[in-house]
Parts: sequence; structure tokens; C-alpha cells
Amino acid sequence: MSSRALLPRWLTSEHPLPWLFPVTSLLLVFGLYPILYSLWLSFFKRNPATRKEKFMPSYNWEKLFSDDRVWDAIQITFTYAFIALALQLILGLAIALLLDSDKKGYGVLRALMTLPLVVPPAVTGMMFLLMYDSSFGVISNALYSLNLLSPSAPILGTGSTALWGVIVADTWQWTPFMVLIMLAGLRALPKEPFEAAAIDGASSFQSFIFLTLPMMSKIIALAVLIRGIDLFRIFDYVKVMTDSGPGTATETLTAYAGTVYFKSANFPYASTVALGTLILVLLTATLFIKVFKVRF
Amino acid sequence: MSTDTIKSVARYFVSITIVLVFVFPIAWFGLTSIKPVSAVFNKDRVVVFDFQPTFDNYRVTILGGKKSDTKADSGILMGTSGEGAYDGRGSIVSSLIIAVCSTILATSISLLAAYALSRLAFRGSQGYMHWILSQRFLPPIAIIIPLVFIFRDLGLRDTHFGIIIAHTLINIPIALLILKSFFDDVPREVDQAAMIDGATRFQCFYMVVLPMVKGGVAATAVLCFIFSWTEFLLSLFLTNSIRTIPVKITTFVTSTGSEWGYISALGTAAIIPGFIFILLVQNHLVRGLTMGAIKD
Repeated sequence: MSSRALLPRWLTSEHPLPWLFPVTSLLLVFGLYPILYSLWLSFFKRNPATRKEKFMPSYNWEKLFSDDRVWDAIQITFTYAFIALALQLILGLAIALLLDSDKKGYGVLRALMTLPLVVPPAVTGMMFLLMYDSSFGVISNALYSLNLLSPSAPILGTGSTALWGVIVADTWQWTPFMVLIMLAGLRALPKEPFEAAAIDGASSFQSFIFLTLPMMSKIIALAVLIRGIDLFRIFDYVKVMTDSGPGTATETLTAYAGTVYFKSANFPYASTVALGTLILVLLTATLFIKVFKVRF
Repeated sequence: MSTDTIKSVARYFVSITIVLVFVFPIAWFGLTSIKPVSAVFNKDRVVVFDFQPTFDNYRVTILGGKKSDTKADSGILMGTSGEGAYDGRGSIVSSLIIAVCSTILATSISLLAAYALSRLAFRGSQGYMHWILSQRFLPPIAIIIPLVFIFRDLGLRDTHFGIIIAHTLINIPIALLILKSFFDDVPREVDQAAMIDGATRFQCFYMVVLPMVKGGVAATAVLCFIFSWTEFLLSLFLTNSIRTIPVKITTFVTSTGSEWGYISALGTAAIIPGFIFILLVQNHLVRGLTMGAIKD
């Protein structure tokens, strides 16, 4: 008890301050300060010839709104996120229903299903690059033999299919995430309503639509939120697989910010694009949380 | 056969097929890693199994063997990059140091904060939680550009310590939310009993509650390790010479061609620790992936 006498209360373990101090200071210094710094940077106009920066607060933000590549990137990001989310949700729910069984062997199948989650996304990109290769790739060759693809239009080298190529890699990696969450949801469902529905003569399809889905709506909303935000921040697959190409066919917002940073070294504008992405993510997520009443 | 038997057999069949589809890319990658180069680049027969397995790719990438010591059949030998360009030993060591240190740092400081948020009622705790959660939704690209400058000024750029800090930063929100959910599972009466016996808050945390959430701490640590081990974007921007495995692998893709043998060997080796770990925490996986929102 001596420490209580010697130290002011806010330095003892009775007060939250010492407990929260390490996390808070780290997040402030390396999390919040960079964002403010970013905002500050976005107020400067960079002259590419002299590499000098001049204070012009509205320059980059006006440029952001009049930049066609930004609007294209927003469209590509939304298309990407929407298609991937829909695919992963539907596949995740279907596979979860399939694997939700206590019979022998399903435990092993469920464990195997989680394996894609631990593959580094950059390595996932590589795996799919190998399988998509237009001369010896196993997926490309399978599609050639089915006449669904021609060697003259490689999957990732063609504007109309490149985004799909990336979406397939993302879906391969993250459908297991949905499966796991949906399985947890299915396991937590009460048995009685289903028994009552069966007695009343409901088909299994009817009880899925009218019982399973409504009872799982909270979990589905949560899964969509977490996955949706990650899809919005997509960077690794695009960087590794297509580097935004061909042309700008797969250039998402984060990829565009990366391109501005690496290729033109226009740090103020790169910061502006990145902050724009952040604002868009926060707005979309807040709206989603409010509409679907997601709680953590 | 009764219709029930047919249904159950059909379900097994469909389940196994789907799981195999998800395991296939990893298996194919692993198979590529032991193929001689003539089998990898064989475009006339894409699916080859009658090759002589070789471990030359592993010898070069993870054992530090010289490319010239291996048979001419290993590596496509088209790049001009010097010996050692495909030596992944440094990356493995760097990745291990970074993943282990950032896991320990993130888990330990998050433990303190999570305990306070679970036990010490204080004004603004709800707001604090929201702030932490919003950090999880932050696109890394939004902080990476200023972080590059801040790290340069602090001498943290291209250092192990710098990436450890960066990975700790992205792991804190996840670790904190998961750990809080585990602390919330422990009844408050446990703390009260200990404090009546004269324990301070910290003693109560360290000697009574912490041992009760050991499993949860282990699961959190495993997830932090996997996130750090697989992280790509921050490592890419914040380093030049220190290369974590995911970044190193992408350097094997050159403008003259991709060294698929080496890529698949290092990639396969990089997946193995994650596989082992994820099988250890199967029981807490869903809680981890949803940041404590769904308890299993």
C-alpha cells in the first residue's frame, strides 16, 4: 500500500492512465501524427521541375476532384470491392452450410479450408501469376482447352479480364474468412425454431430464407463490414499481380496513391489521394455501421 | 441405397471437391518448387508429374547455396543479378525478428490497455474504444507517406526497429479488441475477491486475471505473428536493404522473367510457419478475425 501514499493517484494502477499510456502514445506518435502531417503535406504544391514545394492549401484538393484518374480509381475500387464481397459472401455462406456437419471428416475439411488465410497476400499474388501465365499457366491452359480464353488475350494483360483475375485471387484467399465466420454463426443458432418449422412442413430452403438468414443478419453485417473495409484498402494483389495495369485497368485508389508516390515522387499529391481514400473509407464504414447497426 | 445415404455421399463429394479447389493453388505452388526448370516452363505439357524432383530451389533460396553450384537445370539463368540475389536467408531472419518482436510488443502493451478498458470504468472509455477501432480501418497508405519522412528524420527508416514499430502499430487495434473480449469473459468478482485480499490493481491483473486468459493471449499472439509475417505494404515502403520475405519474393520477378522455381520455394517455405500456428489456434480463430465481436 506504500505506493499509494507516495504517488499521486493518477500514477497508480487504480487509474487508467498508466495502463493506457504505452498504447496511446504509440498510436498518437505513429498513427495520428502522420495523418496530421499528411494533411499538412497536402497543402503544398510540388513543382516537379525544381522539386520545390509551395504553400497552396487548395491546390491538391482541387486537383483531386478534377483528376479523372481518381474518379476512375474510385469506380474500380467500388467495382472490385462489390464483386469480391458478393462472391465471398455467397461462397462463404454456401460452403459454411456444406461443411457444418458433425459427421466424420468434416473437421479436417474445415481445418484445410483455413489454410489460404495464412498465405502472405504478396505470395498469393505470385501463386496466381504462375497459374495465369499465358504460356505455361495451369488456369490459362485449362481455359484454353475449354475455349474460354485465347492465348492472344492473357488474363492479366487484357483490360476487360485483368480485374477479374485479381478478384479471383482475393476471393480464393478470403472466402475462408467468410466460411469461418458463417460457421460460427450457424453453430450459434438455436435449434427450436428449425424443429418447429420442420413440424409445420417448411422445406429446408424455406427455413434457410426465413429463419437462418434473418437470425444471422448481425453476423453477416459484421463480416461484410470487416471484409469490405479490407477490400477498400486493397494494395498487395494489385501491386504484385498487375501493378495497376494494363494501362490503368486495375488501378484502385490505394494503388494510385502508391503510383503517385513511387513514380512521380509528388508526395503532397500522393498524401492527398491517400487522405481522400481514408475519408471515403470512414464515410462508407460509418454509414454502414449506422444503417446496419453493427456493434463490436 | 436409401436417398439419405446418397445425399450424404453427395455432400461428402461436393465438400471434398470444394476444399480441394481451395487447397490446389498451394499444392501447385509447392509442386512447382520441387520441379526442375524444364518442367516448370514446359508449355506443351502444363500438368507434369513424371519429373525428377529437385531441392535445388530450396538450396539456393533458404540454405544459401550458390546458383552456380546447382545443376544447370535450376534457375533460368537469364538475369544478370549477382549471386546472392536469390538468397532468402537474410529475409527469413529479418521476418522472424520483426514478427517476433512486434508480436511481443503489441501483445504486451495491448494487454495493459485491454485490462483497463475491461475493468476500470472511466469517462470516455467508449470513445477510446471507437478511436482504437477506427485505427483498424485506417488504410495503411494514408499514414505511410508521412511515416517515411518521420522514420527518415528519426533514423528508423530501413531498420528492423522501424518495421517492428510499424507492425506493432497495425497489430495494436486487433490485439487490444481481442484481448478485451477475453478479459470481459472473466467475471469481475475474481478481481474484487483479490482486491479484498489486499492486492493492488496491477497485482490483481498480473497474478490473478492474466493466468486465466492465457489461451486468449496465445491466440492473440499467433494472429499478430501471422499479420506481421504476411504484411507487405509497410515493409515495402519503409525499407531498402532489409527485406521481409513477402517483399523479397517480389524482387524475384524481373523485367527479363520470373524465377518461378525460387519464388515457389521461398513462398512455400514462408507459408509453413503460418500453417502450424493457425492449426494451434483453430478454437479462437473466429474471435480473432472479428476482433472479439463473435465469441466461439
